[in-house]
Amino acid sequence: MKFLLEGLGESAGFQKVHPMVNVIFYVLVIVINIFSNDPVFLATAFLCAWFYTVILGGVKTMKINLLITLPVAVMMTAINGFFSHNGATVLFFINNNRITLEAFLFGISSACLCVTVILWLRTFQVIMSADKIIYLFGKIASVLGLTLSMVFRFIPLLKERYREIRMGQQCMGRHGKGSLIQQMRQLTKEISILISWSLEASIETSDSMEARGYGLPHRSQFHLFKFQKSDGRLLFVMLICSVIILPCCVLGYTNCYYYPVVRLKPWSFLKALAYLAYVCLMVVPMILDIRGERKWQQLKSKM
Amino acid sequence: MAAIEVKDVSFTYPTAEGQALDHISFGVEEGEFLVVCGKSGCGKSTLLRHMKKKLIPYGMMEGEVCYYGKNVTELEDRVAASEIGFVSQNPDNQIVTDKVWHELAFGLESLGLSNEIIKRRVAEMASFFEIQSWFRKDVVTLSGGQKQLLNLASVMVMQPKVLILDEPTSQLDPIAASEFLKTVYKINQELGTTIIISEHRLEELFTMAGKVLVMDRGKKVALDQPEHIGMKLAKEHNPMFYGLPAISKIYAKTREKGLDPYLVNGQEKPPLTILEGKRWLKQILGDKTYSAPSFTTGEREKKDVVLEVKDVYFSYSKHQEPVLRGLNLSLEKGQLYCLLGGNGVGKSTTLKSICGIVEPQSGHITISGKEMKKKHRNDFFPGSLAMVPQNPQSLFTEITVEDELLEVVLPMKISDEEKVSMVEEMLEKMELSALRENHPYDLSGGEQQRLAIGKILLLKPKILLMDEPTKGLDPFFKRTLAGILKDLTKEGMSILMVSHDVEFCASYADRCAMFFDGEITSEGEAVPFFAGNCFYTTGANRLLRNWFPDAVTWESVVRRLVHE
Repeated sequence: MKFLLEGLGESAGFQKVHPMVNVIFYVLVIVINIFSNDPVFLATAFLCAWFYTVILGGVKTMKINLLITLPVAVMMTAINGFFSHNGATVLFFINNNRITLEAFLFGISSACLCVTVILWLRTFQVIMSADKIIYLFGKIASVLGLTLSMVFRFIPLLKERYREIRMGQQCMGRHGKGSLIQQMRQLTKEISILISWSLEASIETSDSMEARGYGLPHRSQFHLFKFQKSDGRLLFVMLICSVIILPCCVLGYTNCYYYPVVRLKPWSFLKALAYLAYVCLMVVPMILDIRGERKWQQLKSKM
Repeated sequence: MAAIEVKDVSFTYPTAEGQALDHISFGVEEGEFLVVCGKSGCGKSTLLRHMKKKLIPYGMMEGEVCYYGKNVTELEDRVAASEIGFVSQNPDNQIVTDKVWHELAFGLESLGLSNEIIKRRVAEMASFFEIQSWFRKDVVTLSGGQKQLLNLASVMVMQPKVLILDEPTSQLDPIAASEFLKTVYKINQELGTTIIISEHRLEELFTMAGKVLVMDRGKKVALDQPEHIGMKLAKEHNPMFYGLPAISKIYAKTREKGLDPYLVNGQEKPPLTILEGKRWLKQILGDKTYSAPSFTTGEREKKDVVLEVKDVYFSYSKHQEPVLRGLNLSLEKGQLYCLLGGNGVGKSTTLKSICGIVEPQSGHITISGKEMKKKHRNDFFPGSLAMVPQNPQSLFTEITVEDELLEVVLPMKISDEEKVSMVEEMLEKMELSALRENHPYDLSGGEQQRLAIGKILLLKPKILLMDEPTKGLDPFFKRTLAGILKDLTKEGMSILMVSHDVEFCASYADRCAMFFDGEITSEGEAVPFFAGNCFYTTGANRLLRNWFPDAVTWESVVRRLVHE
């Protein structure tokens, strides 16, 4: 469990999975999360998401988790509690307005939902590298994938050019000198150099694209991802889980009512089954990561 | 049938007065290696662009360019894209995507090939170019030489029959350039691809080329085997002669003066490599040795030291090896000082620390008697110090050449008349008067360089720092640049220049220094400095060092040979 200190980051097993599987997982988990406001379901999802950020980012990531989630949670609870006057159990009055227990509870539950989504998205950032995102957009339309790839190329290029321009200006003795207005003027000058330089350079880029046949009909998209058997198995497990949960969601087994009084759905076979499947779905990537790490450690010790 | 046939092509750009191409005709056979040379602006690029359907410039064109008998403009798009490959100058601007593997696949994606075929072709090319080790890298992490190799590979992956390269090595350092050209040669030899390449640095290309096309002002001056080009141009007293490799120049000039020819099996064969040249000299000079040169190593007249770097140590972070390790350097008034050395040895860091952009961990940098400190760096600018950056574009803000110069003098506290006269003077000095209304980006590389130097000179610095000023310049403008620099040093300006260009430094520098591993390992006046080096010296010196070690420039070699 040593890896929990540093986090697995991009070496995580789930990261090496086919991007389609990744994205299906995130869509499922987030959609189910949004339509399940039963406290048990919410709390479990929250814990799973939290634990997954730790697996990927290490213990130190909890500080950032708190920094992001606490303000959101407090704000949402407070706003709903003080501004929504639904609910039967009155706690007290402010300016003749009813402040109810149910409003607070609903606030907490929606805050929990929101925070969980944020935490899932934080892990999404690590799991979905730029390459994967380019691939997925390319699946929608190859031009989209290409555009994204060009953007990822352009940003560091702009930075590099700006660094060079600033250095050139420094060598004329122009940078960081004079009053605020003069410095502002200098900055606009530098940015204007950057823009005209980049526009000029982009003419050459478009030449290079045309020279290599850009614009011919039926453009294809190249990628280095392979859909392997293990990806198929993973997808199968995930789909089985969701086939159980999604109908239960629609039938309301994963929901509860907060107004006018909190009314939980009593535990039944179906609810328990849905809960089990949901947990299964959420721990799939964690199992994959931990198992991968174990194997790696074993191999390393044998070497 | 010729792979490319140019039939009486003339071309005029829409707003230009003269013709960019003037009745040019020639053919390139399949598998041939053709080198196109000439001054910048002589129409080389225009000519090459006419061979690639999508890159033909707008303007008035007469005649036709044929690819295997078919007019290039009538080729099917798919054929035009894949069978004729084009690589241009700038390594950065040609790269489209963010990953090496994606860039390699770009052309094949355009052709709409399936993932399996692309994978196979990309794998083949990556192995051929030995780029497997950086296959999955981000393109930003590559060096300039690697980027240009990637551009070449991503064209080759489309399996072109004709490969056109427009000054592909002008932005590379000599070692990367040499590696690049070797790869081009390998493509020609092992795949039989027809190569058409335009270039300024001809030493290596002359040994690879089947034919050389020399152009001047849009006209074909000569088209011949590389061996015969030198003699031909020398006979015609054509100024293009000065752009040839040193060995060709030496041979042609000395033959003119009546020296014996190089004979192989009883036939004259003008030498192209240093090895052949040495054999030729052995034939005519024999094993005679000549009196060792006497360098006046005696006391030099010491002038004022304007810039002194003493025991400077610098490293970018605590965990990194230092980049500068006890650097010592002193620049005297009116001196042209060249700092030579390979990549990543700390030359640019030296300039940065002199400018106060980075502060050394220990040691002192004194400029005109005052110590440079990062905090007070602005006190030194622009009066005592200024630098011309490697990329002239990083200085241009205005829309005309004239405005560009005016922009510098505008904040100065002098009368308007004086400002205008300063600008006029500078336009005159940099030979830019005719171009005053042009947009800076429409100038050629050499002209941009002149404009950048002009801008910096208006600041009237006492010390001028230059970072690779000869990068991408043709040999003719290098001579002009040398003249400008010489005039400046006569006026009392001191110039410190960082360069890869051995030939330039040997011909024009007052003092040269070799930079290696963070310090200066050898230093001296240009001639004794190069005479003392074995490998890192000019082609002319390598040729003749067994006989006359002090002959460093090709002119001096010719003089000595004729004299003996």
